[in-house]
Amino acid sequence: MNPIVWGFVFVVVAPLFGGLLAGVDRIVSARMQGRVGPPLLQPFYDVGKLFQKEARQVNPIVEPLLLGHLGFMAAAGAMAVGGTDLIFTAFVFALAALCLVLAAGSVNSPYSFAGAERELVVLLASEPFFILMLAAICKVTGESTFGGVLASPVLVALQLPGVVLAFLFVATIKLRKSPFDISTSHHPHQELVSGLTSDMSGRLLAYVELAHWYESALLCAFVVLFFNWSVPLGLLAFAIAYGLEVLVDNSTSRAKWQLVLRSTWVVTLLLTGGNVLALFLVGR
Amino acid sequence: MSPLIVFLVVFPLAVSGVLLAVTKGAIRNAIVVVACGVVAAGAVVTVFTFGNGDAVFFGLPGGLTPGHAILVMEAMIAIFIVVVSLQNRRVLAPIMALAQLGIALYLDLGGHLPDPDPQRLFWFDRLTMVMVLVIGIIGPLICIHALGYMRDYQRSNPQIGGRRTSFFFLLFLFLASMFGLVVSNDLPMLHVFWEITTLCSFLLIGYTRTKETVGYAFDALNMNLLGGLGFSVAILLLAGQPDGLDLAKLTAGPAAAALLPAIALISLAGITKSAQMPFSSWLLGAMYAPSPTSALLHSSTMVKAGVFLLLRLSPAMAGSAVGTLVAFVGLLTFLFVSLVAVTEQNTKKVLAYSTIGSLGLIVGCAGIGTPELVWVGVMIVIFHAVAKALLFLVVGTLENRLYTKDMENFDTLLSRMPRVSVLALTGIAGMFIAPFGIVVAKWTAIRAFLDVPGFAGAAFLIIMAFGSSLTIFYWGKLLIKVLSMRSIEPYERSVEARVTRYEWFAEVVLAVGVIGIAAGLGLISEHVVGPYALTAFSAAPVVFLHLDPAMVVVMLVAVLFLPALALWSSRRSGYDQADFYTSGRSANAGHLMGAALGGTRTVTLRNYYLDGVIDGALVFRAGTLVCGVVLATAGLVALVVAR
Repeated sequence: MNPIVWGFVFVVVAPLFGGLLAGVDRIVSARMQGRVGPPLLQPFYDVGKLFQKEARQVNPIVEPLLLGHLGFMAAAGAMAVGGTDLIFTAFVFALAALCLVLAAGSVNSPYSFAGAERELVVLLASEPFFILMLAAICKVTGESTFGGVLASPVLVALQLPGVVLAFLFVATIKLRKSPFDISTSHHPHQELVSGLTSDMSGRLLAYVELAHWYESALLCAFVVLFFNWSVPLGLLAFAIAYGLEVLVDNSTSRAKWQLVLRSTWVVTLLLTGGNVLALFLVGR
Repeated sequence: MSPLIVFLVVFPLAVSGVLLAVTKGAIRNAIVVVACGVVAAGAVVTVFTFGNGDAVFFGLPGGLTPGHAILVMEAMIAIFIVVVSLQNRRVLAPIMALAQLGIALYLDLGGHLPDPDPQRLFWFDRLTMVMVLVIGIIGPLICIHALGYMRDYQRSNPQIGGRRTSFFFLLFLFLASMFGLVVSNDLPMLHVFWEITTLCSFLLIGYTRTKETVGYAFDALNMNLLGGLGFSVAILLLAGQPDGLDLAKLTAGPAAAALLPAIALISLAGITKSAQMPFSSWLLGAMYAPSPTSALLHSSTMVKAGVFLLLRLSPAMAGSAVGTLVAFVGLLTFLFVSLVAVTEQNTKKVLAYSTIGSLGLIVGCAGIGTPELVWVGVMIVIFHAVAKALLFLVVGTLENRLYTKDMENFDTLLSRMPRVSVLALTGIAGMFIAPFGIVVAKWTAIRAFLDVPGFAGAAFLIIMAFGSSLTIFYWGKLLIKVLSMRSIEPYERSVEARVTRYEWFAEVVLAVGVIGIAAGLGLISEHVVGPYALTAFSAAPVVFLHLDPAMVVVMLVAVLFLPALALWSSRRSGYDQADFYTSGRSANAGHLMGAALGGTRTVTLRNYYLDGVIDGALVFRAGTLVCGVVLATAGLVALVVAR
């Protein structure tokens, strides 16, 4: 099938995937905490309800910025799967994240602003990893697109063990899991209220949620890239990784931003940088 | 061709002489506006008569050669520097100036300087074309902007007094010498223009003649004279080589081992002039000069002369250890200054660090020297020139109206000065948000680094990944501040009304230019930069721009997104939105909150500057040290290889 079709498939399927993942996440988390948890489809009900509610507009440019966040996030995923150069999608991915930061920061309120600044910090922490990861994948396979990597005879994960380990670490940031959920604070009773989404309500919040579903699906696509010999194998690996993330989420308390930034950079530099250096020194 | 080039150099020179004599403001304004129009038209006409784009060489009308004129110019420059330095009790600059004069005397009077081919004094190709347009269009716009800016500036700095005529004299002298610099093919002639730009920047930085600015001016002079001296020594070394002083022949391909010391010395000159570490501090000192000076130094002149020369040298450096080490200097500078920039609150300084970083990328590309990377380098030259000129001019306008350069004080700008905000956002979008331009360049660079073998390739990739993420951080902070909104008092509206028409004109033209260049990316690549990169390396045709339709759509949306958003919101009347969330501690609709022990406090929101994680001053010193060591190594390697 033409890769562009896959891009469109991603746009449609990714939110379903992300929403179901969020449903499973909530049930698993609840079981870990000795609760029953909500129905599997609860995230979809929640987003549906958000669209029906009134959106309190604190600043008129927040809504277009959030639409930009959602649009660029969907585009990043669709382009990655749809055959665009993978390294380029890293920039679109970052642009999407930046739109969210700007939406929250421009509200000019204490909680949103603090959340926006922290989101900027985690963007700074995680972005080098994603650029290096995609560059390394292109280097080992000699390919530049999603389809090309899947067709490559090289098993990426075998060549990039350091990058895979670092991915587990950095994905915690992108999945907004404790100890790295410093910008949104999904868990209640924390000093940040609900971080960068504090002043978003109604459909505005729904955009953020939808974008996050796209983001989860994109991360899953990245895991598939590591296990490029077989898509089911990649999905299985993602399920295991996600299970680990949920476990970590429920067993740690949130870190300070300084620790998040320092530790992510060190991990990126040592594991990913070391792996990349080894690739270049040994030669393909 | 030849008369046009002579015109481009001589006309601004003549204008600058006239401006020195004019003391009446209205007459000066009229002369500057007309002269700017003529210079811009001259540049455009020159480019259009250039024909099919292949390199052409030509001499002065009548087959004249500069002859002893070069020595006379060198002597005048040296004498001026000696006199000014002794007046200010500085010794380093005169020593270097006299050393250069000594070399010029030895070469000329000793008969060691081979006569240049009278038909190969000037070299005009696609890179020259890019530079002529950058200098000839952006330069005059900055001059026009300065008409509005300097009026307010001189009002608030009355001690300048009678020297104000010299400001525009220097601007035009600068433009003339830049034109001369980019078209010269004869290295001694190029060196003369090189030194005049050094002198102009020295005088422009020290324009206010306060103790502080004079200090910075001498920093700039010392560092650039060091580079100039290196250039002189390189000319001395090359004078004995056949065709050694013919830039086009020198850089036709990888340099012979014997020529590497000279190549290294010329790249030292390029590195000082483009303010790479360890020579970055002079450009930061230049920030204390009036904003048009910063805009001129940062966007279309001075620093661009440095990277222009390095891009010229690129084919000669390619594949050599010297080239790789020069690339390391550039890319490490990019990384270090980006780290410093995230800790900086002064907007002009953030722009300065961003300039040094972008130049670092260009230097890195030039040092590695592949067609792809030279393509990237020239693309960044174009985008950076337009977007950075716009940003400096906007910050200058803000500074004169809001009396601050502090990023934190630009909050709610979108409400207070909506039209200026649109321009600022266009500039920022042009610099980094839009995947057009710099981001396309970065992406192409990363792709090209994948093919650089060994340690260097991996190091370049890691530097690029971190450096590029850091740029997101400092631009993001500035954007948050500019985009925030609040209800404003009527008197705040009047601030924007005081922006002069000169400033509006220059800034709007540049903003349109940013979007125009972004839209014309494909054309510029296909007809100008791509062919240049191929001919410079005599390489087989390749596709530089790998864009698919999805990319084009995303880019189009991205480049227009923020400016359009700001334009839309600025056209909405009034601001009657809901209050933000304050945990029920809101005291009233303003930025007041109930405090912990009763009473109210004003809410102050300050960006993160990564205090405690990154120490800006320390990083700057470390970068200076590391890059200094790399540069010294490059010199040693060149000497060893030449033996």
